[in-house]
Amino acid sequence: MSKIEKNLREVKKLNELQMRDGILNGLHPVVKLVTTILYILALVSFPKYQVVPCFVMCIYLILLFNLGDLSIWDGIRRMKLILPLVCVVGIFNPFFDHTEITRVGIVITGGMVSMITLMLKGIYAVLASYILIATTSIEDICYALRWFHMPKILVTVILLIDRYFYILGEEAGRIMAAYKLRAPKQNGIHYKAWGPLVGQWLLRSMDRAEVVYESMSLRGFRGEFTYAGRKSFRWVDIAYLVFWCAVFYLLRYTAVLEMLGQMFI
Amino acid sequence: MKTETLKECINIEHLGFSYDTEEPVLRDVNLYAVKGESIGLIGANGIGKSTLLKLLVGLDLNYSGKLEIVTHPMVKENVNHIREHIGYVFQDSDSQLFMTTVEEDVAFGPLNYGLDKEEVEKRVKYALSKVHLLELRKKQIYKMSGGEKKLASIATILAMHPDIILMDEPSVALDPKNRRVLINILNEMPQMKLIASHDLDFIMDTCERTVLMDDGTIIFDGPTEKIMHDREMLERHGLELPLRFQR
Ligand SMILES: Nc1ncnc2c1ncn2[C@@H]1O[C@H](COP(=O)(O)OP(=O)(O)O)[C@@H](O)[C@H]1O
Ligand SMILES: [Mg+2]
Repeated sequence: MSKIEKNLREVKKLNELQMRDGILNGLHPVVKLVTTILYILALVSFPKYQVVPCFVMCIYLILLFNLGDLSIWDGIRRMKLILPLVCVVGIFNPFFDHTEITRVGIVITGGMVSMITLMLKGIYAVLASYILIATTSIEDICYALRWFHMPKILVTVILLIDRYFYILGEEAGRIMAAYKLRAPKQNGIHYKAWGPLVGQWLLRSMDRAEVVYESMSLRGFRGEFTYAGRKSFRWVDIAYLVFWCAVFYLLRYTAVLEMLGQMFI
Repeated sequence: MKTETLKECINIEHLGFSYDTEEPVLRDVNLYAVKGESIGLIGANGIGKSTLLKLLVGLDLNYSGKLEIVTHPMVKENVNHIREHIGYVFQDSDSQLFMTTVEEDVAFGPLNYGLDKEEVEKRVKYALSKVHLLELRKKQIYKMSGGEKKLASIATILAMHPDIILMDEPSVALDPKNRRVLINILNEMPQMKLIASHDLDFIMDTCERTVLMDDGTIIFDGPTEKIMHDREMLERHGLELPLRFQR
């Protein structure tokens, strides 16, 4: 199976996840979007030395991965392109920040701690986004964006890009397959074939994109998607949002962890 | 919206059309069709069948001559209104269907017309049951077979309650069983149909009237029975007798 096909399969898998009948899938998209954004905001706002409370923010992820019946490994695998990037962000902190924080055999510097905090923030944010994507279809996300009065042209562009991206992928897969069948011994594509292949790819994708667009406009598409899930908020949605707001607030602004810790000592 | 109960569906006179090149693809095409008719549009490959269908739904407005759909001239101001009357089933179902699941795709048109939730649901049910796909409504499109996709794309059109349905090579890539299913479904549909195909057996099973095109114009327009037996005429225009008449 070629890389392209693999990636397309991943997209389809994600689609399948979004379509399931889970608790998270059924929540109002606006609530899910807001909670995710609040989570990320709370996360990035942790001071750089507060590694423990920052670490504890993982309860959100753990609960949601379970609640949504999602596999954390799949999440990490699917996000593997971005995860290394967010990990290296803090990599130089240990070299610059030598403030001594504590000694456990060796000296723990502020740089080390802040590196870990930054990495945690990055990884958590990516995984939180993954949870959102894996439980919410692109239509729902766009619906939520429209709910926040994001300009409709922007939202429509997002949706169209999603559609066209898929077409590009499919056409690329087909061309690669056709090429490989006739150049079986070759590893990859000969550089001389790149020009025509890319040309073909773009032309075909454009053709198909045009047909898709024609099909849409023949069915009354006038530049704005009409969203099917014009849902109303239910109590569960509100409760979900309030619950997480409270948790984020407690973790971020109160010494709830210390209090809990003291209770057991 | 649709208050008029009109008999006239398609009225084309002296229709001409060319793509960017000078060589015209269509020239002096005349066609008149009324409610309830089923018309086969036959002709060799590349003769302009698809082009004619595209003009009928207003995908290209640079034609010459007269083109009226349910008495509305096909001009820019009318296009949206006309498209409420006329549905087009593309040859390539993969590109016609663009949502994730069947029901979402079928609901796309009605939602765009601003219908309320219940009405949309009613139409989705109606359209899917017409093509016997109601049990598959939640199915993802990429998991469907070619035949199912063809039926699904017909459902997307039916959900919009058109008076006229255009189809481009509907029988291509269907196995005998799906083909039979499609024929039965088409014969149950009361709408006016114009079916472009070079599959003459398919046309024989679905249309009483046939239009033969060659060289960008209409060569024959009459009863299907008549032309399908005319070996000489068919062969002269790049076609062959229907398989059932061949020995
Ligand atoms: N987008 C286009 N631009 C230029 N020429 C086209 C285009 N589409 C079709 N043609 C040409 O118009 C003619 C008629 O094509 P078409 O209507 O697809 O034929 P048919 O459907 O009968 O096979 C062909 O010669 C084809 O090459
Ligand atoms: Mg054609």
